Amino acid sequence: MRELTYTAAAREGLAEEMARDSTVFVVGEGVGTRGGNFNTTVGLFDLYGPERLRDTPISERGFTGLCTGAAMTGTRPVVDYMFIDFALDALGELINQTAKIQYMSDGRLKMPIVLRACMGLGNSAATHHSGSYYPLFTHLPGFRVVVPATPRDAKGLLKTSIRCDDPVIFLEHRSLLGSKGAVPEEEYLIPFGQAAIAREGKDISLVAISSMLPKALEAANTLAGEGVQVEVIDPRTLAPLDIDTILRSVHKTGRLLVADETFAPCAIGAEIAAQVMVRAFDDLDAPVHRLNGAHVPAPYSAPLEAAIVPNVRAIEQAIRDLLAE
Amino acid sequence: MAVEVVMPKLGWNMEQGHVVEWLKHDGDVVQTGEAIFTVETDKALTDVEALESGVLRIPADTPGIGEDVPIGAVLAYVVRPDEAASFEQAAISAAMGGDVGGSSAQALEHDATVMSGELVTSVGNVPGGQVPVSTAPAASPRACRVAAELGVEWSKVRGSGRTGRIVERDVRAAAETAQRSADSEKTPVTPVRRLIGQRMVDSARTVAAVTLTTDADATELVRLRTQMKTALAKTGGTVPAYHDLLTRLTALALLEHPELNASLDGDQIVRHPSVHMGIAVETERALLVPVIREVPGKSVQQIAVESARLIEQARAGAVAADDLRGSTFTISNLGMYGIDAFTPIINLPECAILGMGRIASRPVVVDEATEAVAVRKMMALSLTFDHRVVDGATAARFLQRVVEFVVQPVLWMIR
Amino acid sequence: MTPQTAETESARRHSKDELLAFYRQMLEIRRCEEQLARAYQQGLIPGACHTYVGQEAIATGVCARLRTDDTVYSTHRGHGHALAKGVPPRELIAELFGKITGCSHGRGGSMHLFAPELGMLGTSGIVGPSILMAAGAGYSFHLLRTDRVSVAFFGDGAVNNGAFHEGMNMAAAWELPVLFVCENNQFATEVPFATVTRNASVASRGPAYGLPGVEVDGNDVVAVYEAAGEAVRRARSGGGPTLLECKTYRTRAHSEGMRDDGYRTREEVAAWKERCPIKLLQERMLAAGIAGEGDFAAIESSVAAVVADAYEFAQASPWPDAATATDHLFSVPEGATRA
Repeated sequence: MRELTYTAAAREGLAEEMARDSTVFVVGEGVGTRGGNFNTTVGLFDLYGPERLRDTPISERGFTGLCTGAAMTGTRPVVDYMFIDFALDALGELINQTAKIQYMSDGRLKMPIVLRACMGLGNSAATHHSGSYYPLFTHLPGFRVVVPATPRDAKGLLKTSIRCDDPVIFLEHRSLLGSKGAVPEEEYLIPFGQAAIAREGKDISLVAISSMLPKALEAANTLAGEGVQVEVIDPRTLAPLDIDTILRSVHKTGRLLVADETFAPCAIGAEIAAQVMVRAFDDLDAPVHRLNGAHVPAPYSAPLEAAIVPNVRAIEQAIRDLLAE
Repeated sequence: MAVEVVMPKLGWNMEQGHVVEWLKHDGDVVQTGEAIFTVETDKALTDVEALESGVLRIPADTPGIGEDVPIGAVLAYVVRPDEAASFEQAAISAAMGGDVGGSSAQALEHDATVMSGELVTSVGNVPGGQVPVSTAPAASPRACRVAAELGVEWSKVRGSGRTGRIVERDVRAAAETAQRSADSEKTPVTPVRRLIGQRMVDSARTVAAVTLTTDADATELVRLRTQMKTALAKTGGTVPAYHDLLTRLTALALLEHPELNASLDGDQIVRHPSVHMGIAVETERALLVPVIREVPGKSVQQIAVESARLIEQARAGAVAADDLRGSTFTISNLGMYGIDAFTPIINLPECAILGMGRIASRPVVVDEATEAVAVRKMMALSLTFDHRVVDGATAARFLQRVVEFVVQPVLWMIR
Repeated sequence: MTPQTAETESARRHSKDELLAFYRQMLEIRRCEEQLARAYQQGLIPGACHTYVGQEAIATGVCARLRTDDTVYSTHRGHGHALAKGVPPRELIAELFGKITGCSHGRGGSMHLFAPELGMLGTSGIVGPSILMAAGAGYSFHLLRTDRVSVAFFGDGAVNNGAFHEGMNMAAAWELPVLFVCENNQFATEVPFATVTRNASVASRGPAYGLPGVEVDGNDVVAVYEAAGEAVRRARSGGGPTLLECKTYRTRAHSEGMRDDGYRTREEVAAWKERCPIKLLQERMLAAGIAGEGDFAAIESSVAAVVADAYEFAQASPWPDAATATDHLFSVPEGATRA
């Protein structure tokens, strides 16, 4: 099977959907001739022109509200924020309008809008270009939240996101953009709410969010050498969340660790732990553990930045700590 | 109110003892009458029972296994489930802290930048005063479920979890152990066996052991015993066994060779005024050595009656602790198993031990000059002595005397 | 008093039917609002109710230029826009009562009125988004190669909000078919417009973004109609957006149940009541001889009947089923997979 980078795979998905449906258009800063800051739209301007690859002024609130209005009136916008940090200016529109229109109109209006951005720490991007912020959206009613970790998943999930009639927050971690992986030639879509078992194991369940996936797999390899079989689960979408796959794994192993770059309070790890407690209490051999990034804004200097993100060693140690419980 | 668990007085002259094993663990629920630990006094092991029901609390600084403590020393406590033992009350108060500052502040502040691999992810919680700490044994929900499935009583399982929590692996291990014991014939090493083994090892390690062996012509001894048997058949008394005869004659030999009736005590060689003979007895539980006191003052008949009683008691597991201590010399008899000579291990703190082999008919030269051979009843004798205390010549002379007494029992009466 | 010649002139540019239709529409809005105000006092309206009394000419004049497939995005003071866009009075009043028969099925109340089938894409409790979403609809219409237009209604309070700036800018940059209608009633709740900006002319802001800004008398329905007509024609033909500032006044409180004194004088209110748009049209038509008293009386009684019926309907309508409270959060029910 051919190998594509995460970026190329996602772009291929976007290209396919834009070819398939002429109402799909992209809005954002630099998505036109430039091809997107993260190469999300390279080559598409030449195919579809400025109306469907619309370069915007720096008006995140403005073009979010505009695209919300467009999505209500027959077209399917993909808002490309570049960095999720920039989308924060649009929170009023997203939370009060975009997420609520379907409900307020009692289902008579749909909201087929994709809100796409790069997230996460790395390369000393510092605190205005390193956010994740997904818990804001998993908490509020009305959003789908999609966090693919592999090229294959990026393409399949972006296609599903564009075809979905709901607002979809689609977040791509910066550290994954250049990663390569097998991507099928034939068309495929990946449904929301379906986690992937990235590695099977019987001793401990490890849910790894987005950028944590490759680190989790590396840690699992190391632990295999210590006789520990780690089951690594990639949820792929956080809303809806495939809790059943996680519960089945906990039933098998009895121990659960959630690894996530974003801050611990009220993030998906806390939600998973609460759900597992209710539905799999008697399967638990130990409390659910979470390994998160530190609860601080992202610092600039490389050693500081490294210190606040769970690395492979931290995951390995967290696995051992949980086994000792 | 917490009840103290102390080192009990188990023997009339017991002044101290040590715990060889805790049968219940810190945090276990105990009932009145349930054995909670085992004490060793010489070679007797005694299980000590709880006098109160409740939760057993063993302080971290309780005397260690094997560490001698005076009788009455506090080893543990039994508390009600909702109370803490006094030794930990102070610790809890210190950890919780009544005010916002102090050690509770540690849980408050989030450790923002840490070294790679040591990320702290606590939420900014606000201290809200004392949080109750459970002292009952804890099992994970999964462990409870698996215990129910496998029919294991989880409260009796030792927890390997970080907080002493009983987890699935502990329950499964307990089930497997039970299964294995049910399947195979292996039995775990009992405390008694372990103790005796330890003493054997100690002896082997510290003693400069030398074993002398010789054959004794026991034909006259055999004849003597036959006469006793015949005589006692009328009165119905206990017929002395060969080890009873050997007990008597060895004790008499020891009176003449007091160097062999001694103990090494540090730098001192202590000669015992009297001869108390230990008789090694194989029981189901282990090797026991009951003691016949003041042997020189007792007739063979008396010795026979006493030894029979002690051996029966030992085999029944009912020998008193006092009867197992105080020997100054020990005899070990493996003759009934067809053994000739062997290397008995000295029963410390004694300095020598005599091993009896079987009495067997063998052709021997009875007249050196004519080289006449006759069939005689021969008995092998093995004397292991501690060369730190006794010289080879001294030991040999003693053994010679024992042989003389075996060959010519009449010598006992005219010495 | 004899109306000015210019006004009778403007009236004569339009047919009697057209003008009476304006009259009827404005009166319907007025009587509905008065009914809602009474209902509010009776405790029949649980949430907020911002009445449109005094501003009827704007909704009427603008919406008369719109087709059903044109879209309107409105504000918290949007009953007039909803009615002018075609929402039946029954559905307006039932919605404010919270009944299932309301245009939003009880989901929205006054500030979340939706009737997508009529192009009514929502009143809003937040100031500003109507500008952005209307621009977005304009973007859709352009992308879909239609000649549909989109209208954003907003007050003077919105023009200093970031949404105004970003929306104006994008609409002009991309030549979107949008009509931005500012109903400048001179107060944001109780804050006079002139005290929070140095540029008190909303229309003058249009050219700053590169789009035309037109100021009209918001109480003159014909003037509004004509200005709106020009803007709509321009938008439909690809000429881009227009900013229409309609100067007007609300003669009731900001919201029903709120005080209406302390920030303006009774004299000021009375003076504006004299400029009631309905009264002005009637006077003008009478003066120009276009219609007679009987025409107005007939409309009066007809509208009264409609509104009375709407009130009865709303009273009698059932409540929404509580079991449906979590419906329609998403386009498909939760748990259904989407391929």
